[in-house]
Amino acid sequence: MKYRPYLLLAELTYRCPLHCPYCSNPTRYPDGRELTTAEWQRVFREAAELGVLHAGLSGGEPLQRADLPELVAAAHEAGLYTNLITSAAGLNQTRFGQLKSAGLDNIQISFQSDEELAANRIAGAAMHRVKLTAARLARAEGFPLTVNVVLHRDNIDRLAEIIVLAEELEAERLELANVQYYGWAFRNRAALLPTRGQIAAAAVIVAQQTKRLLGQMRILFVTPDYYSDRPKPCMDGWGSRYLTVNPAGEVLPCPTAKEIKELRFDNVREHGLGWIWHESAAFNRFRGTEWMPLPCRECEFREVDFGGCRCQAALLAGDASVTDPACSLSPYRDRLTAFVESAQNRQTLDFEFRQNP
Amino acid sequence: MNVMTDESRPVLTRGVRLRADPLTGEPLLLYPEGFLPLDAAAHGILLRCSGDLTLAGIVLALSEEYEAEPDVLRADVVECLTHLRQEMLVVW
Repeated sequence: MKYRPYLLLAELTYRCPLHCPYCSNPTRYPDGRELTTAEWQRVFREAAELGVLHAGLSGGEPLQRADLPELVAAAHEAGLYTNLITSAAGLNQTRFGQLKSAGLDNIQISFQSDEELAANRIAGAAMHRVKLTAARLARAEGFPLTVNVVLHRDNIDRLAEIIVLAEELEAERLELANVQYYGWAFRNRAALLPTRGQIAAAAVIVAQQTKRLLGQMRILFVTPDYYSDRPKPCMDGWGSRYLTVNPAGEVLPCPTAKEIKELRFDNVREHGLGWIWHESAAFNRFRGTEWMPLPCRECEFREVDFGGCRCQAALLAGDASVTDPACSLSPYRDRLTAFVESAQNRQTLDFEFRQNP
Repeated sequence: MNVMTDESRPVLTRGVRLRADPLTGEPLLLYPEGFLPLDAAAHGILLRCSGDLTLAGIVLALSEEYEAEPDVLRADVVECLTHLRQEMLVVW
């Protein structure tokens, strides 16, 4: 099977009590009411039939959905591995009990920093202590824990302390995710982009701490593509291994695909997930290598990075069907380089905080 | 990292699941946001990482099943489990 979805990202709601300026949620939310419990239950069953192995329950903040335990149970009963991707807002003892009974496999909690004041400032909400309490409860309840920290100019200098925090929380996994510049993060990219020196220092710390914590905590860190010569192999290829269903039921090849204005995304209220995956125009638009322009079409890396990210091409070059401008071979790389250089000596800028739908 | 001894008792890390691929039947190790397809040898080892057996016990069981020399087998089992420990897929 050349194209098989392995992971379904279920964006249950775009509501969230946090206002992180690096959120990759869309800045214009889709019309239409959120999918019902029954509609999600059908989505999880259809996903499992398509070959999906993993359900990431995300948002917004998925705990804003009162029916979250039912949705976890539906995904679990369909045979999917379930991961709750949460800010921890609303994650109390009662909720833990319900989620455990529902068969939840893993909890991923986001942190904004190791320092309370800085963390609360970035989140636009006083949430740091709530997160610490929830992470400790997760351990006490026997859940495996992933700590996720989005790194940017304002917190990347705290990396060593952030790693110690994850270690103290006894996380199995620590995701150090450099900001990806889509949605709200794209709006805030001048305030968020770290300097070249910050990235280099972070890479040294990650290498040292990965070695120290080998076999105790798995650390995941990827160099941001704004500082790379090669584009990221986005989604392992468009419509190849991943799918996202947003709160309104639209099915996307990646969570940020709505950045591509020329595409229309089909909805699970109108079509089965299998038809959308195999037959819909949006999923077939950038599959394989046929769609590729030069220099991708003749590039030896075309089956390695798949031309990079379509959303980034749309955002930076104004055309989703060109080579990702993060690639040094892109005719638009100069624009990205100019932006990166302009960020090297910049003073602190104010954030535009994420708003709710 | 903890070095394996004969008394080590390897188990799947919390949240790691051993499953058959529902479409192909091949054995998979599932972990948050990823999976690892397993060959027959790794599958055989992981089936015995239930916490009931020590490394010595796993090697003995496998040597009987495959009619192989325990010493040779032990090195392969330790190599496999050490790699999986680095990925935080097993612990002991």
